[in-house]
Amino acid sequence: VATRVLLIEDDEHVRASLRLVLQQEGSAVCEAASGEDGLAVFRRSPTDIVLVDIMLPGADGFHVCREIRRESDVPILVLTARSDSHDVVAALEAGADDYVVKPAVPKELTARLRALLRRANRAASVSGRVRLGDLEIDVESAQVRQRGEPVALTRTEFRLLCELAQVPGRVMSRETLLERVWGYDYFGDSRLVDVHIRRLRCKIEEEASRPRLIVTVRGLGYRAQPP
Amino acid sequence: VTARTHEGRRDRTRRRLGLRKRLTLIFAVGALTLSTSVVVISYELSRAYLIRQRTTSLEQQTYVSARLLRARVRAGDPEIPALLASLGPGRTSLHYLLDEGRWTTGLDEADPAILPAGLIDVVRQGHAGHQLIRVGGTPRLAIGVPLAESGASYFAVYSLELLNRTLRVLANSLLVAAAITTLLGAIAGWWASRRVLAPLAEVSEAAAAIAGGRLDVRVVADQDPDLAKVATSFNRMTDALQERMQRDARFASAVSHELRSPLATLVSSVEVVGARRHEFERPAREALDLLESEVTHLARLVEDLLEISRIEAGVADLVMEEVRAAEFVTRAVASSVAERISVDLDAVARDAVLRVDKRRLERVVSNLISNAKHHGGGVARVSLEHRDGVVLICVEDDGPGVPADEREQIFEPFVRGRGARHRGVHGGAGLGLSLVAEHVRAHDGHVWVEERTNGGARFVVELPVVT
Repeated sequence: VATRVLLIEDDEHVRASLRLVLQQEGSAVCEAASGEDGLAVFRRSPTDIVLVDIMLPGADGFHVCREIRRESDVPILVLTARSDSHDVVAALEAGADDYVVKPAVPKELTARLRALLRRANRAASVSGRVRLGDLEIDVESAQVRQRGEPVALTRTEFRLLCELAQVPGRVMSRETLLERVWGYDYFGDSRLVDVHIRRLRCKIEEEASRPRLIVTVRGLGYRAQPP
Repeated sequence: VTARTHEGRRDRTRRRLGLRKRLTLIFAVGALTLSTSVVVISYELSRAYLIRQRTTSLEQQTYVSARLLRARVRAGDPEIPALLASLGPGRTSLHYLLDEGRWTTGLDEADPAILPAGLIDVVRQGHAGHQLIRVGGTPRLAIGVPLAESGASYFAVYSLELLNRTLRVLANSLLVAAAITTLLGAIAGWWASRRVLAPLAEVSEAAAAIAGGRLDVRVVADQDPDLAKVATSFNRMTDALQERMQRDARFASAVSHELRSPLATLVSSVEVVGARRHEFERPAREALDLLESEVTHLARLVEDLLEISRIEAGVADLVMEEVRAAEFVTRAVASSVAERISVDLDAVARDAVLRVDKRRLERVVSNLISNAKHHGGGVARVSLEHRDGVVLICVEDDGPGVPADEREQIFEPFVRGRGARHRGVHGGAGLGLSLVAEHVRAHDGHVWVEERTNGGARFVVELPVVT
């Protein structure tokens, strides 16, 4: 089954060329030229992955990310200009899973897309259930329950939680998490980890500013607190 | 030759003394001269006054004694020695009577030999007189009075020890005062020079910051109208500089932005066509290869230009994080070359921590390595050293080296060494080293090239360490 990609990009030529690259990779591409259009297409047709430019006229990429996150945990990849590096953090906070810097090099773009899809479909390395504090993580069905109540996590957040919860008490460096969850090498952007940890904490910690389940180890990385 | 060397050395010494030191010295010397003259004058005046006063009072005393003696001598009193002895204890005064060439003294220790001959002559001629003398290192006042009619002379020698001690105390106090004045003078000079130089120091700091790329630094205009002028012109110059640089950067940035979208389209489209490479005939395939390599090159060039212009305009936001220098450099080297190059680490460098933008510093390392490959005949050695708060990342090659007069230029955009004038295939954009320079500057570091001991070039990146 072909991966269904929703491509939201206002520049017609760039959009066409990205479509060609994606189609060559064997994806089925739906196109939209604006944020509003993109959201309409997203609600209408099933989508496996969203590729959205941040700079869009009208409803911009941040808005699109937030809207989609409200109703779905579909992987979102944003396209951003290098000069707006703080946009990266804003986009990640709005719900994006990863980003690609424009002008997108086809090889890099497809690598990012594949990593995202792998994360979405990947069977976990450890099967069964993992407990972390009052969290119960069902690795196979990708379900998380907190005191019996289901917690809605995106796939990236879920993978991140699994990596940490599987080795409670052990510190994981940002580089390791980047490699295991996002498939980056040492030079990946560690803000990806920081922002996703922040979002994860908002969902599972009682007080996100004073985390008890996933703690920061200064200068080293993160650690899931053993029960 | 010796004289000239000497001159030269003196000249250098003079030049080495800064304005600050010179001002302090001038103030100190001034204070010393002034206080010394005041001390000498006041000491001499006080001394003269005190001696005169003492002399007058001792003369009075001597006349009283003389009057007493005259009566006794006239009466031929045999108790004269006892009287002389009673006139004063030997420690403070000694008394002598000279009658018809014969000395009579009250005490045994009173030796008439201490009396100056000149004074004796004056008195024998019938005049009273006094003279300062020194006996055994202590100052004394000798006074002689002729005893009229009898033809005898009376001499008294008074000790001035007490006066002397007073003068010594005075001298000491004055010397201490002089020393304190000199010190105060030096302090005043130091303080004044600091006051004078403070605005200059601020200007110099600002200039250094601007040279370091922080164009937003300005000098606070001083209250003092003379200094405010300097500050104002300095700020105006910086404004103009910043304005100009930002205009250049904006232009480069605008051009690059305009080029970006079409380039993105080109890169993607060429990639799509490239995937069908096998479907083409040979000439078309060759053309496609050229197209692919040039489009990639062009895209890189535009990105680098944009990056440089952003740093120059001061709008590049760095994503800083702490990394272990050894791990970072090892990984950066490993990711930029296919073949294995080990990094020589010195023992301390292993634990050094740097605060860096990983992406940018990785470009620094990979650009230096690519430069060594394309212009230096390959990487000879990569090393990491740690010394006094900085880490040195060195990339060495076996190439022809960089001539001394080109060592600064090669970090300018689109400048290549003489040895690499022609643009080779994939020969780098000519932006590689200037991007290195810009990135290193953004990290508060320095980069330079030097000669290797056994030929070849050695590029050194110096970065401040966190711990």
